[in-house]
Amino acid sequence: MKHALSIAILVALLCIFQLAPVSASDKSIGFVQSVSGEAYIHRGGAKISADTGTQLHVGDTLSTGSDGSMGVVFSDESSASMGPNSNFVINKFEFSPNEGKFGVLIRITKGTFTYLTGLIGKLSPESARFETPTSTIGIRGTHFLINVEEPVTSQ
Amino acid sequence: MPERKTNFSYIRARIIFSALVAFLLFLPSCATAPPTRDTIVLLPDASGKIGSIIVYSGGIEVRLYKKGHAVTVEEGSPPSTPFLMTTDEIISLAGPAIDAHPPHPTQYVLYFEYDSDELTKNSMILFNGIIRTAKNNNPVRINIAGHTDTVGNHEYNLQLSYKRAKAVASLLSAQGVDTSVIYVTYYGKEIPLIKTGDQVHEPRNRRTEVTIR
Repeated sequence: MKHALSIAILVALLCIFQLAPVSASDKSIGFVQSVSGEAYIHRGGAKISADTGTQLHVGDTLSTGSDGSMGVVFSDESSASMGPNSNFVINKFEFSPNEGKFGVLIRITKGTFTYLTGLIGKLSPESARFETPTSTIGIRGTHFLINVEEPVTSQ
Repeated sequence: MPERKTNFSYIRARIIFSALVAFLLFLPSCATAPPTRDTIVLLPDASGKIGSIIVYSGGIEVRLYKKGHAVTVEEGSPPSTPFLMTTDEIISLAGPAIDAHPPHPTQYVLYFEYDSDELTKNSMILFNGIIRTAKNNNPVRINIAGHTDTVGNHEYNLQLSYKRAKAVASLLSAQGVDTSVIYVTYYGKEIPLIKTGDQVHEPRNRRTEVTIR
């Protein structure tokens, strides 16, 4: 009996923890600037047709069809785009300069993707990360350009 | 990157971010035989500046720092030796994604009197230009970000920066600009335009940045 009760509490706790990120991701972290052809936002099981001005949330997956492309702008004034048959997920996007909190994790799983840094790239470049199936990409400030050195390679 | 056509009138940007980085990722379709091979290219920003990125895979880090600098990466392996891609090669790889990238926004900086949400005389004149852009270009978004100099504490400056951004938003809506595209943000003294120490009077930091896209 005791055992059953603790499981019930555990289940209740799990539910609370599951709810928490959902409410946190309700906040808009960007918007769609332009769309061409088939373009969608996948959010919590729903597939929303992307349109100019559509808000973006943390956790969204953006996708395009064979004739699609889309341009988006994030709250730190960084911007991104995707070509046809492409797919990326916004796993994390936090831009809160007033609390000193920054973080970007975008996972690109298919197709083409471009990104132009904004204020996070300026204030906290090390907190932004982009992942593809093969690699991880990080942003470095321009000050690294001063110390130009030959990159380390496998050869 | 090729010059892109846009319906924005190109009033020169008044804010220049110092560390812009633009890059491109190309992932082949999953239908082709594995292993997948990604291409990662560093691009210049709209003003031609080049940033720097790190590509990490198979335990090895490679830095890209030149225009068109690229690597290919196969699953489980380190990145290839960096090589240069021509503009034509980049466009044939990812033309539609590059064309879809949001155009450079039109940006304005409006300055304020000390400890006030009142615009300076010069900024009041500049404001007329903002009204024209906001009305004629059918923008998707007008972002208004309030800022202060470093005099005073964090909380006070957050409030002051909020008042400044709200003041600009009210001026725009009073001029008949569509309020549904206006977004107000405020950062107090956290993002100065001119870096100073704390408690330093700096008129150029008493500002609101208006970004029209």
